[in-house]
Amino acid sequence: MNQNGFRKYFSLLAFVAPAFILYALFLLIPTINGLYYSVTNWNGLNPSYRFVGLENFIELFTDDPYFLDSIWFTLKYVICMVIFQNVIALLVAVLIESRRKSKGLFRTLFFMPNMLSLIISAFMWTFIFTQVFPQLAEKTVLTFLGQAWVGDPKYSFLAILIVSLWNGVGYMMIIYLAGLQGVPQHLKEAAVIDGANIYQQFWHVTLPMITHAITICLFLTLNGAFKVYEVVFGLTGGGPGRSTQVITMNIYEEAFSNNYRYGYASAKSVILFLIVLIFTIIQLRLTKRKEIES
Amino acid sequence: MRRNQVLSWGVNLFLTVGALMAMFPIYMAILNSFKSDGEMFRSFIALPQSISFANYREAFVRLDMLSSSLNSATVSILGIAGILLCASLAGYKLSRTSGRISAFLFLLFVSSMLVPFHSIMIPLTRMAKALHVSGSIYGLSVIYIGLGVNMAVFLYHGFVKSIPRELEEAAYIDGCSEIKMYFQIIFPLLLPITVTIAILDFLWIWNDFLLPLIMITDATHYTLILSTNVLFGEYNKEWSLILASLVLTAVPVLLIFSFFQRYIMEGITEGAVKG
Repeated sequence: MNQNGFRKYFSLLAFVAPAFILYALFLLIPTINGLYYSVTNWNGLNPSYRFVGLENFIELFTDDPYFLDSIWFTLKYVICMVIFQNVIALLVAVLIESRRKSKGLFRTLFFMPNMLSLIISAFMWTFIFTQVFPQLAEKTVLTFLGQAWVGDPKYSFLAILIVSLWNGVGYMMIIYLAGLQGVPQHLKEAAVIDGANIYQQFWHVTLPMITHAITICLFLTLNGAFKVYEVVFGLTGGGPGRSTQVITMNIYEEAFSNNYRYGYASAKSVILFLIVLIFTIIQLRLTKRKEIES
Repeated sequence: MRRNQVLSWGVNLFLTVGALMAMFPIYMAILNSFKSDGEMFRSFIALPQSISFANYREAFVRLDMLSSSLNSATVSILGIAGILLCASLAGYKLSRTSGRISAFLFLLFVSSMLVPFHSIMIPLTRMAKALHVSGSIYGLSVIYIGLGVNMAVFLYHGFVKSIPRELEEAAYIDGCSEIKMYFQIIFPLLLPITVTIAILDFLWIWNDFLLPLIMITDATHYTLILSTNVLFGEYNKEWSLILASLVLTAVPVLLIFSFFQRYIMEGITEGAVKG
């Protein structure tokens, strides 16, 4: 028996080791190290550094307006994404689900932008915003397209949202479509017989049946939107000035392009992780409760 | 009846306009990649006078897109192969072994899926330097394996539960060694989930920007996205070249999409529902 137990653990070890070693080296240990660096004054170049306690965290909340600005800007972005991405994706999913012949075609077309990387999407859209739109505004009646989409802070936020939604809606749409396919047909028919109109059917039959899909999509949007980087990098680079700088960009700048304050930048990373974690937990709690209720 | 028909037309119109908007940037990029700069600035929406591959030729000759395409392909293939091998072994064994250690290891893999990449970016560069894996394509693929196994272990773990144990017991009684049994009996049975994971990881690695950006400094090791980024960062943007390289980066992904669309969509819903 003992021999057997030993064998069991030996084979468990042998099978798991390759994955675990690489995982530990490149994900687990860096995560722990990041937590440790956040309480040091390591600057990346100097080999010696010391423990400074919570100094970094105090500094970033009291003496770093750019970081606080980036948090607010990111929050604004997250709220818009959570609302628009889910509303548009659900709307498109419901409409596509109601089609018979063209269902597959529309699903493919709406999903396709999601296949491209965010950075490629941002480059492509920069071409559209800075070259194609101005020409269209000049030569056709579509004059409203002739804005400084990337250069004017008023419009650059909108531009960032447009590209993010363009890329992200398809993904959520697929999850909503799967949820909609799980709504039993007989419930809808019963509602029709009871005289419910289309809107009543949607609010009282369809929506309660897809709360699980909504939970998932809110989770994914929230989780992804806080980590936004590529779209902003490709479109505005955080500018003009720092007006569109997001948290991740502020961290990157602190660590790699400004002053190599790795310890301080690690403290910012910890804050980012905590923000994502807290929002995710709150959201899961709230929507799970709704799920049980319905 | 008539009201329903009007509504139906309205929905069709809405979806068509939406789909056109979704396709517009991709169509524009492809269309204009066949035009010269001058022709482009006369009109972006006009069809090209002749299909010319001059931009692509220049991208390959002057920017060595061939080498960055090969780099992207190498990283993707090595990374995916490593993830599939390591994660299927681990996911299978963790799923078949009960007990605290196995449950703890699984939890460790799964909980790390929440860690944002930006939070480990700094310590990761240091680790990569210490292990001498930064700055090369092979090193980059090893890092991708380390970052990608957690989700793959999670998906394999769930899939293995649906495979009956009797097969393994029979093979065991026949005196088959464990590792031989794994490769001859189990791994082939994991094919459906293996395809899903391979596609999802291809999309991730091929499209990834930040990790190569911080790991690769030498231009000969650039991936396609890094080359495009350098081109894009120049002050005088040569749009004809940028568009050609954007299309080159997008084409493999769109090809994979057209062949494996069903798998990709299933993979998304499966991953989402289990998560």
